[in-house]
Amino acid sequence: MRIRPALAILSGAVLVAAMGYSIALSTAASFIEPLEEEAQAAIAKAGGRGVTARFATPAGAPSRHPLLTGGRRLPEDTRARVAQAVAAVPGVGGVFWSDGTIRASNARDRYEPLHCQEDVDGLLRSRSIRFEEGSNRMLPASQLLLDEVADSLRPCLGAIISITGHTDNSGTEPGNIALSMQRARAVREALVRRGIPRDGLRARGVGSAKPVAGLTPDDPANRRIEFAVIRTEPLTPTPVDTPGAR
Amino acid sequence: MPVWFELAVTMLAAYGAGVAIGWALWGRETVPTQEDSE
Repeated sequence: MRIRPALAILSGAVLVAAMGYSIALSTAASFIEPLEEEAQAAIAKAGGRGVTARFATPAGAPSRHPLLTGGRRLPEDTRARVAQAVAAVPGVGGVFWSDGTIRASNARDRYEPLHCQEDVDGLLRSRSIRFEEGSNRMLPASQLLLDEVADSLRPCLGAIISITGHTDNSGTEPGNIALSMQRARAVREALVRRGIPRDGLRARGVGSAKPVAGLTPDDPANRRIEFAVIRTEPLTPTPVDTPGAR
Repeated sequence: MPVWFELAVTMLAAYGAGVAIGWALWGRETVPTQEDSE
């Protein structure tokens, strides 16, 4: 008699599941007991007086995911610390509180921008991004400088970075504003090509309205690009697995 | 989630991987039929 392959595979799967169930029944208790002891030690160490960890489902089956009970009068930060201490025990899965569970608000791990403004200012203090006369085409030497600027801005992903183009006052002011805008856009595109996300970059041109302090408006050194980190958006990591106070 | 469920799912995944590897190695070869061998 020929056994149909699908039936054989299905029977094997049922057999494997049954084996898993029976093995778990006989070994789960010896696996869970050390976890319970370590969890109680962690709770005591974290100051969780009155908190107990129950390593079982509501139906009573042994589980790696403890249900914490008690400790209702403990401060919120203590409860969060207790839950995180239990979660840190090797072998323990997700931790839940019996009086309702929310994930931790991970306020401490807030993203801080890493001094990008100072780094970029430092780069541009002695050098500047230069363009061909009356054009938005960058000089080759400025491409190298732009590489360094992009490296400096990379830690500030999540920040809004303003790129402002300036000119000297040769030519008409509407033409200067248009040219400075084109140059700022050229720099923005160059940064996007270097991996800086476009949605964090704002380009604008102000023409010759804001010369460098101490320079006359017709000085060619007024042709420049300035960067400013105008807004930072704190990025809080999603605390998927971090248990909280409740 | 009970331990038995986690263990059963893990063992089923290993079983499925074994079946898939076995099928990839040997299952695709056609067995010669009576008509082929004649």
